[in-house]
Amino acid sequence: MLTPAHLTLVQWLSPAFPTGAFAYSHGLEQEIASGTVHDRASLEAWLGNILRFGAGWQDAVLLCLALRAGADTRALDAHARALQPSAERLGETLDQGRAMARCVSAVGGPPVEAGPLPLVLGRAAAGLNLRRAEVAALYLQGFVTNLAVIAVRHVPLGQSEGQRVISALQPLIVELAGAAADAGPDDLANAALSADLAAMRHETMDVRIFRT
Amino acid sequence: MNAIADLMRPQRSTGRASVAIATRRGRAAIAGLHQAGSAKAMYLPGAGGPEVVFLNTSGGLTGRDRLRYALDLGSGLRATATTQTAERAYRAVGDPAHVRVRHSVGAGAHLDWLPQETILFQGARLRRETQIDLTGDATCLLLEAVVLGRAAMGERVSRLEFTDRRMISRDGVPLFAEPLRLTGEALAAGAAVLAGARAIATLVLVAPDAADRLEAARAILDEPGVRAGASAFDGKLVVRLMAGDGWPLRRQILRALAVLRPGRLPRVWQT
Repeated sequence: MLTPAHLTLVQWLSPAFPTGAFAYSHGLEQEIASGTVHDRASLEAWLGNILRFGAGWQDAVLLCLALRAGADTRALDAHARALQPSAERLGETLDQGRAMARCVSAVGGPPVEAGPLPLVLGRAAAGLNLRRAEVAALYLQGFVTNLAVIAVRHVPLGQSEGQRVISALQPLIVELAGAAADAGPDDLANAALSADLAAMRHETMDVRIFRT
Repeated sequence: MNAIADLMRPQRSTGRASVAIATRRGRAAIAGLHQAGSAKAMYLPGAGGPEVVFLNTSGGLTGRDRLRYALDLGSGLRATATTQTAERAYRAVGDPAHVRVRHSVGAGAHLDWLPQETILFQGARLRRETQIDLTGDATCLLLEAVVLGRAAMGERVSRLEFTDRRMISRDGVPLFAEPLRLTGEALAAGAAVLAGARAIATLVLVAPDAADRLEAARAILDEPGVRAGASAFDGKLVVRLMAGDGWPLRRQILRALAVLRPGRLPRVWQT
């Protein structure tokens, strides 16, 4: 049953919610420039890797930890900061986290402390009493949608090709969100080393549109 | 060859080596040394601070092996810790091998933890946890290098389970966390994961002036056959390297160490 709480969460994760997500490509700008992401198939593969082996999984676990009653805000924030692989990726999660905290309270949501984005969302959404897997799935879909839209404009790809990539990743999103719901801090894991390297190399690109 | 090595080794080996270094009569000296099982530690005094060399005499890690290394570095001291040889993780049936590295660095002290590379063979199962606890204004340099098989021997690794959690914290607060997890699925994944690399390394310098080395570090990240990047943030400088094989990786590591760690290389790294 869809409740007002669901609609609130969808609103917070909507591209229209002013958290500035459009400014962050998560290293995708570098991957497009280097030719690693050059068509629909390579975009889908890259995003699938990020979801399963990189920040997608890590953020989903962090988000679900923050949704738990009695979550240790300071310890989680420090851990999430320490996990960031580069200066820009740290900015990506902190800047959007700050904007999320501000916007949520500006539209009548709970006052929450700024911090890394998934943790801020977790703190804000804790009172919505939604299932953790649902919150994580919507979060991951928002993350993927933002990057797919960037790819549509900059690879470039057709609009429907970008949307097809999002559709194709939905089973994976649901699978990962379900696993993240019950994960603990020891389940945080990363293998997306090339994506982390791309995020580092983005810092020295000559021409950059995005902040990551 | 590996199968024979497997057969000749005992079913399970355990080892534990811990070293404490403190100031005695104004200079660094061993304050404690404990060695058990297959783990050994050597203490080599030197002008630039002592070197501690850990060694696993079992010849490599396989299922259910347990290995622990620890170093406690007293306030205001400077030391380098490393390993005598590359650590090899062989095929393990059933339970994984467990390695735990835990170093503590006193206020005002600096530790370079520069183990030689870990070589993972087909079917390896290894869980390693490396934690460096800094106190107060302590600083450190951490290196972790991992090689998948030996390319020169034509070895291709497609199955393994490797969890390598690296953590640096200051007064209990995490500063750097890298929970690397490589599985067969990750090896096959593609462009955002290894993208064909078979040798990877991370170097992390945690120090107030770490960002000052960023330009110098970037300037030497051009070793042929290595993809590399560097970033400075939150009081640390992180360098990541990816290569098709262990030799270019090692050459690039040596050049990076020259920037991040002035002075002579540790003896075991001099090739």
